[in-house]
Amino acid sequence: MVKRPSDDLALCGECHQEIAANYKKSLHYTTIGQRNRVVKRMSAEETKVFDEKVFEKSCRSCHATCGDCHVKSPSIGGVSVGLIDKHKFVRKNEGKTCAFCHGGRVYPEYTGEYGGNADIHYQKGMMCMDCHTMDEMHGDGKAYAQKEEVRDRPRCTDCHEPGRETKLTARVAHLKHSQTASCFACHSAGEYRNCYGCHLGGGSEAKPGFFLGTSPRNRKEITTLRIIPTVRESFKPAGIQQANFDTLPNYWDAPIHNIRKRTDRTRNCDTCHEDRKGFLTMETLLKNSSRTNLELIHKPKPIPISK
Amino acid sequence: MIKAKMKVMVGLLAVLLILPAAAFAGEPFVTTEWLQANLSKVTVLDVRKVEEYNAGHIPGAINVFYGVWGIKKGVLLNELPADDDLKDILSANGIEPTTTVVVVSKNETMPFRTDATRVAWTLRYAGVENVAVLSGGIEKWEAEKRALSKDAVKPKAKAYKGKFNKQYIANKATVMGALGKAVLADVRAPEFYKGEKKLDFVEKTGRIKGAVNLPPGALYNADGTYKNKAEIEAIAKPVVGADLNKEIIVYCDTGKVCTNWWLALYDLLGYKDVKVYDGSSMEWLADPSAPSEP
Repeated sequence: MVKRPSDDLALCGECHQEIAANYKKSLHYTTIGQRNRVVKRMSAEETKVFDEKVFEKSCRSCHATCGDCHVKSPSIGGVSVGLIDKHKFVRKNEGKTCAFCHGGRVYPEYTGEYGGNADIHYQKGMMCMDCHTMDEMHGDGKAYAQKEEVRDRPRCTDCHEPGRETKLTARVAHLKHSQTASCFACHSAGEYRNCYGCHLGGGSEAKPGFFLGTSPRNRKEITTLRIIPTVRESFKPAGIQQANFDTLPNYWDAPIHNIRKRTDRTRNCDTCHEDRKGFLTMETLLKNSSRTNLELIHKPKPIPISK
Repeated sequence: MIKAKMKVMVGLLAVLLILPAAAFAGEPFVTTEWLQANLSKVTVLDVRKVEEYNAGHIPGAINVFYGVWGIKKGVLLNELPADDDLKDILSANGIEPTTTVVVVSKNETMPFRTDATRVAWTLRYAGVENVAVLSGGIEKWEAEKRALSKDAVKPKAKAYKGKFNKQYIANKATVMGALGKAVLADVRAPEFYKGEKKLDFVEKTGRIKGAVNLPPGALYNADGTYKNKAEIEAIAKPVVGADLNKEIIVYCDTGKVCTNWWLALYDLLGYKDVKVYDGSSMEWLADPSAPSEP
């Protein structure tokens, strides 16, 4: 018996040559995006230790073989939720093929089972692959360092062309915020899952939360932020102190999949401009966190009332 | 003579044509047999998850997942969407106030069963006149080897113009004002009503002061289908009384499960003033100033 037959991409590649060749370089398979992000917190020496002791033995153990998506859920911490459809290969069944791995945060947020508001696209019957392409799943043959480098990722404006809104208020609001706020900043329905304190004492804690602030990757834009569960002590058991921990913030800009046409922010400008609801503040910032987080705090200005 | 015969024929035809709709009125729980026979005359609304609907649904059924109809507002679960959002959902799915809708959900547990009743109540609240749920749910339809389809139905949108029935809903202030006057029906299992148990998200044990108990499970047969009208009446009358004009407010933990008894009392038994307290125990028992017992 071969434990994970599709781990050998050459086997699948006998028939699916192009897919297997692309997949070998894809971020889903290499998980190099995770590694490249976290090592920025480490010195060169620590990175070496991380690659040997942590990345290869821990992070990469979850990398997806063909079968992890198309036959059976991957084993995470020794636990697998089983086969998708007996022992058959399943081409597409997003509730399983995608949700097996993305079922902690994105998928239940999309269906409304986490947070309590289903995404409007789910309401209309749309599933993952109505926006995300096969190239995103299998790679396009290029070896990217992280997903932000991929150009052909879905954008809201692919379908929702600005300037075609039927309501004047919507058109004006979109025009006013087009360079300063992401779509998610106004249209995310509300709370989403945030994980805290990963590896600290062996596990992390998940709690609902909603955070708005400056995007760490586009300092001109306000967006929804999700907590990165890496803490100062995360890799202490491997002897890694994270010498450059403060180089990166503890929040990433996150495309939250719980979009609604109307939210408390689209209904009332004061929600952001007066009440600053959801915006990160010194008081709400994670304690003992990266100093870079301070750069994410944004204080919206009141809207001047026209005389 | 021929003209008279023609008139009779036309009259008979008219009666036959309107009969299915008439038979539907006042029957909030329809059987699989009835739905099979009337499939072409109704809109079947499947409220299961998109992936479950895609795997096989009643032919012609449209799909809008339960989580769209019952949302989280602040800390409260299973709340109504805003009226304009609700209108958008109805419009996008071509549901009109006169559309006859049969809501279908899974049936294996009370939360699934009451996905259907909560959506049915929401439609009634929004002004849709003829709404029922499928007794026994999708499992009964499947068990009887009735046809299933994998073709997703794309409904034709039509602007919804129904008048909302605000009298079907109660908030905390309404309940406070109704204490000692209206019948407050606690639609939770007896151990919850008695204050012996509570769910994690409910602040404390107990019930609204003066409430009577209408257990949610009392409406169902062992196979998960709804009991008949006479049986339901025999359960309800001793608890809420026989006065059809008396104000009744039903509640549960979140305002979802109690909608099964709302349909039974209002649409089946003809009680004329029945409201759902949407905040239910989650809101009431978290307020130290709201009278509760024991």
